[in-house]
Amino acid sequence: MSVHHPDEMLLTEYSAGTLTEPMALCIRMHLERCAHCRSQLDMLNSLGAIMLDHSHHASKVSDDLFDSILTRLDDPEQPPDNEQQATETDNRSPLEKMLGTDLQSLPWKRQLADVSVCDLSDYFPGDERVTLQKLCAGGRAPSHTHGGKEATLVLTGAFADGNGVFSKGDFVILDEHHDHQPVALHGEDCITLSVLDAPVRLTGRLTRLLNPFIR
Amino acid sequence: MNKSVTGKGHNVTPLQDSSRRSERSKDQWSQLLEQVGASQDRGAFHQLFEHFGPQIKYYAISNGIANQAEELVQEVMISIWRRASTYDWRKAAASTWIFTIARNQRIDMLRKIQRGSAEMAIETEDLWQIPGDDEKDPVPSLHRIIAERRIRDSFQHLPEEQVAVLAKVYLEHKSHQEVAQEMDIPLGTVKSRVRLALGKLKVILQDQDL
Repeated sequence: MSVHHPDEMLLTEYSAGTLTEPMALCIRMHLERCAHCRSQLDMLNSLGAIMLDHSHHASKVSDDLFDSILTRLDDPEQPPDNEQQATETDNRSPLEKMLGTDLQSLPWKRQLADVSVCDLSDYFPGDERVTLQKLCAGGRAPSHTHGGKEATLVLTGAFADGNGVFSKGDFVILDEHHDHQPVALHGEDCITLSVLDAPVRLTGRLTRLLNPFIR
Repeated sequence: MNKSVTGKGHNVTPLQDSSRRSERSKDQWSQLLEQVGASQDRGAFHQLFEHFGPQIKYYAISNGIANQAEELVQEVMISIWRRASTYDWRKAAASTWIFTIARNQRIDMLRKIQRGSAEMAIETEDLWQIPGDDEKDPVPSLHRIIAERRIRDSFQHLPEEQVAVLAKVYLEHKSHQEVAQEMDIPLGTVKSRVRLALGKLKVILQDQDL
């Protein structure tokens, strides 16, 4: 069971379907491992149904709409719905399905001794920077803060920083107020999925000078 | 992790007694949906259409896709028809299940418009799940039904300003940030209204409530 959860605002926006694709993926991956948030989501979805019902402004539909629907149901040309079959036989996580490979076989780019990165931004529309980050077991990342909000979901292993220990399934939002220096726990590489709405700002003295994003 | 979540065979958790009690609380829409699933009952399907069709159309219009409103109704109804046999009333009320299908179809439609012919890297349903699709989940039917009824009842007593914010989020596809801009109130106020509303509806659970 996860310890660190998305807050109710994020779950509400997820339920309402207003989150961006990468953020939705993070929440979805958290839900996979968190019965607590699944239960909250059930209720938020019920709230969605109530909102739909409550609107009172239900719009009258065309007289022939139902007939058009029946016509489509009877149309043998309509492709059968194969989505359900796919979900029944496919036990991979949504992320693995998207990548079509396991995490270790990805084209990781080593950035620092202990840190490798794989950029997934191209999978998604929009401006967010979506990355997988790998901190090798027992490894240490440089101290940094975040120029924007970075949603992080732990996929494998665990890391610790001043705010606690984050292990598989945990979700955390880091922002400009968190100056952290994560350390991966021993035993397993810590891989996280990160969604950043603005670039990371390094806080080391020298790297700071090199960082183009200082405001 | 609860042992009951591991195997398919353990999905049904309630005791005999509570199962019978919750069977009685099955609402009319869930019954109709089951009829569609069990025997492709077009009469039942029509009743669902009469009730939910106009809601879905309104949903599309308030979401800013008025031109595709009836197309969305069609897509949602066809999806309901095709998936009805997988619907499990113990996992979600019909209205909740249909809301999630409408939400997903809306997202899907917008994604297709946005992407054009480019292939989507990830299916909408892998990002936003329909309740009941997850075999891993146990079925807390009575608990769910009680929770749903409680939300429905307490919703009646929510102050209008809180309902208005929730309506913008759920029906107009607005982020909290956009709601703040549009209503010209601080983001913190939007968040506190949502939080207050969720608290009153007891949607926000404390751990001991689970």
